[in-house]
Amino acid sequence: MEKIQAKPDKKEIDGDYSNVSLRPLDPSDVDDVMVWVTDDKVSKYCSWDTYTSKDEAMNLIVDVIVPHPWFRAICLKGRPIGAILVKPNKGNESCRAEVGYHLASKYWGKGIATRAVKLVASTIFIEWPHLERLEALVDVDNMGSQRVLEKVGFKKEGVLRKYYLLKRRPIDMVMFSLLSSDPQFEISNELYRA
Amino acid sequence: MSANSSPSITLRPFRLTDAPDMMLWAGDDQVTRTLRWKTLTSIEEALTFIEEVCIPHPWRRSICIDDRSIGFVSIFQGSGEDRRKADIGYAIAAKYWGQGITTKVVKIAVSNVFIDLPDVVRLQAFVYVDNLASQRVLEKIGFMKEGLLRKYAYIKGNIRDLLVYSILSTDAIPGTS
Repeated sequence: MEKIQAKPDKKEIDGDYSNVSLRPLDPSDVDDVMVWVTDDKVSKYCSWDTYTSKDEAMNLIVDVIVPHPWFRAICLKGRPIGAILVKPNKGNESCRAEVGYHLASKYWGKGIATRAVKLVASTIFIEWPHLERLEALVDVDNMGSQRVLEKVGFKKEGVLRKYYLLKRRPIDMVMFSLLSSDPQFEISNELYRA
Repeated sequence: MSANSSPSITLRPFRLTDAPDMMLWAGDDQVTRTLRWKTLTSIEEALTFIEEVCIPHPWRRSICIDDRSIGFVSIFQGSGEDRRKADIGYAIAAKYWGQGITTKVVKIAVSNVFIDLPDVVRLQAFVYVDNLASQRVLEKIGFMKEGLLRKYAYIKGNIRDLLVYSILSTDAIPGTS
């Protein structure tokens, strides 16, 4: 999950971090996927343990990512630097889906995750017309990720105690939601720049 | 039996012979309004429901007064990675509302659950915003209100906001040692 760092020096903000796009991943992306799945800083708040081999990363792509109902690479200038996914539900719970995301730590603190979540929020309710509620659950200690969701316009609903087992430890999680009926944020044109 | 003996309130598994008593509460729209259950419309339906749902259920108990069914408490434990969480549901015949009976039996059920299902660390309850009586039951037992989940689920075909409450195996239950 993205972590907001202390204010970077002005000379560090030299790149164009606004050119963020989403696309499906395939096995040819394995080297880019390796960058974030082998990073302890990234796996810390994720359900998976840090990966240690290219074979494991390839299995992840083939067995988990490709068959997933909604899994996209977060790309900067067309290059995958992280992932964002939406998990749907069935039956009486089909009105809600859960969004999750993670980003290579080198790209934290530049507003990229915020852009990626905004992109998902602006299309998922159209792609899945039965969806009314997009929710996200964040570790109480993960302040950076909480700020991403607040910036996108998610509403914090409360803290669910010992809700999830993260690496065998039950943790408290903050529940956020965005409804299809919530006032839509303005999507600036720069999000669509090629 | 002494004329002054107070009725005994107990929790026990359901029996087929509970069907007529069950109609008195599960056949009442007032009671089923806040449940996922549809109101039962006949003794035959009640018998089928007891045989196919209540008896095989991993944890469902009849709330009884002098061994006659006046309501239920159910625990739904999650599976796999979710088995540390369980949902609690309950209802009682309208005739017995407002007498502290629900609080008393649900408190007993909660203590039993943490013993019967030792994997469970979090017991949660989802309540309608307008169901103040049920919210009071949970608060008196020691559940904590965590928040309002907007448009969380469909219940009987309508999308509903739900308040979520929880009690942890590590929380002290008021009034128990």
